[in-house]
Amino acid sequence: MKTVIFGAGRIGCGLAGQLLRDSGHEVVFVARSPALRDHLNRVGGYVVRLVGRGETRDIRVDGVRAVAAGDIERVAWEISDAGLVITSVGCANLESISRFLAAGIRRRAEPVNILAFENSVNAGSLLREYAGEHLPQDFPLDRYGFAGSLISRAVTQRIGDPASGGPLVFVGDAYSRVIVDGAGLRVPLPQISGIMVTDRYEAWVHKKLSMFSAAHAAAAYLGHMKGYRYIHTAVRDPQIRAVVAEVLKEGQQGLAARYGGEIAGDESDRQEVLERISNPQLCDLISRVGREPGRKLKADDRLVGTARLALEAGTEPRNLGLAVAAALFFNEQKDPSAVELQHHVFTQGGEETIRKFCGVDSGSLFGRITTDAWYRLSDGWRQGRVLIDLERMTWN
Amino acid sequence: MRIGMIMPRSGGGRKSLVMPEVVRLLTEFGVEVEVICPEDRLNHLCQLRPVHDLYVLKDTSDMGLGLAGILHAAGAVIINPYPASVILRDKIASTGILKAAQLPVPETYVTADLRKLAPLLKDGPLVVKPYRGRDGEGVRVAHDESELIDPLSRRAPFFAQRYRKPDGMDHKLYVIDGQVFGVLRKWPAKTYEEKLGSPLTVTPSLRDYAVRCGAAFGVKILGLDIVMSDGEPYIVDVQSFPGFKGVPDAALRLADYIYHKGLQLLNKKI
Repeated sequence: MKTVIFGAGRIGCGLAGQLLRDSGHEVVFVARSPALRDHLNRVGGYVVRLVGRGETRDIRVDGVRAVAAGDIERVAWEISDAGLVITSVGCANLESISRFLAAGIRRRAEPVNILAFENSVNAGSLLREYAGEHLPQDFPLDRYGFAGSLISRAVTQRIGDPASGGPLVFVGDAYSRVIVDGAGLRVPLPQISGIMVTDRYEAWVHKKLSMFSAAHAAAAYLGHMKGYRYIHTAVRDPQIRAVVAEVLKEGQQGLAARYGGEIAGDESDRQEVLERISNPQLCDLISRVGREPGRKLKADDRLVGTARLALEAGTEPRNLGLAVAAALFFNEQKDPSAVELQHHVFTQGGEETIRKFCGVDSGSLFGRITTDAWYRLSDGWRQGRVLIDLERMTWN
Repeated sequence: MRIGMIMPRSGGGRKSLVMPEVVRLLTEFGVEVEVICPEDRLNHLCQLRPVHDLYVLKDTSDMGLGLAGILHAAGAVIINPYPASVILRDKIASTGILKAAQLPVPETYVTADLRKLAPLLKDGPLVVKPYRGRDGEGVRVAHDESELIDPLSRRAPFFAQRYRKPDGMDHKLYVIDGQVFGVLRKWPAKTYEEKLGSPLTVTPSLRDYAVRCGAAFGVKILGLDIVMSDGEPYIVDVQSFPGFKGVPDAALRLADYIYHKGLQLLNKKI
């Protein structure tokens, strides 16, 4: 069976491609970068390096090929006889690929499932809506599956140069589970290792956002303030570790109230997240984990969304509030979202920025928590300084 | 990743908690760390060649620098680079570089004959230092001619700077790749607790001096001793790879930087 994967990046190659090849499927990537497309066609594969608990395992993924993202005829032709389509392009890019997807769907004789490996509650429905805009009104799109999918693996690096002859190496942790929204499927899903279909997809997405993603982001934003480069270093800072541990508790309390104990998990789940983000073999840069702070600060995303769940549970999300305040200091110059956020903080102040980016009113409980944290942090902040004491909020 | 840590001999009255913690952290990060103490072993110079991806030169004794020189000549990448580390051991050359970079230093004199400094005392005391001294060793303030003696019985050259009466405690600045940390410390600090000092919030002008100082020498890890006198700063000493006593989370910060450098080198090799 052939699978077409939109996106030859970290998740496309580092997880989707590997799972499909492991399960014996033919894999065709739709690659935006000509250099990457040519490389995959020339080398025919790549390496997935799984790291964890001091062990490293290289998995050679062979027999893949790639087509150009801009070649609509070729992409449509590949989709026309595929048994599965996967996207791993980032939610913000779903609209731009929908024209190509629709062109392929029109050529098909039979319906197919499209799995959006985008870690989002509504990626499936969003993609269906976007594809529908490029199809006739009477097209039977309901017969096609559009399902959101939740990725457990963190793929942190791509090592190597596409211009070289050697295979690229995608570095990630050894988690392979992909949770697929069963409600979005329309035809039977082929057997693929690691894939689990659920009817509680939204709950699982919120679990990932409220546990792993929230802790990861908190470590990144606090670590950035303290001047560290890597997540594994930030989490070894006792003050940051203590906050991240509390972020996990706040998230878990919200999950338990909304979805019950089975989804929320227990202390072992919190420990597992801490262990994962402490893994130095991932070489996970704070600049990568913290990037696009504008998106990560949205009302339904990892920090504010988790805080809202916690508030529903009667928990005061003080540590999530601190992480939100810290995000307002994320001033990575190469990150357009961070630059925009910084501009807003500089011109409008923290309170207004929290209102605009997070949808949180400063009069609400969470608004008061975050703005208070922001004012305390900003008191001693100057360009070029790093935080040396999180408890006393003192800068160097 | 393989990192060779060229370290001073353990003991010798020095109490460093930072570097053993850096070694432990790097090991925890998955780095293969070899601690190399040149003074503790027989060094076969003809067989010495770079076998690590990166070296960290913490030992700036003659032995440490000598070994680093051989590794440098053979193409090893070293933090801090060998040429800069050699210059930073030499207060004469260092002061010249500081002055050329328009950084504030006291009036400085060098002589082969201590008696030649005597006429300068009429304008105030001088601080006489061994030109390759470390850790405040042999530093003394000479108020009159009788104090113009070499306490370490070393030979020339002799290095002297105009004494600037400090406004308060010494300002110790530490730099790790552009991040500047400050400690207020009494001089001379004798006990370990005195060396830890108390936190100092670094002013923008001091930060600027520290960063420019690192750039002038081409090093990312350094320490500066600054005396504030009548509100004016004077850089009285610069060290390559200092002990970072009193800097919060110093080991974690150093391990983060060293690991990052090592990874950059490895990724370049791939």
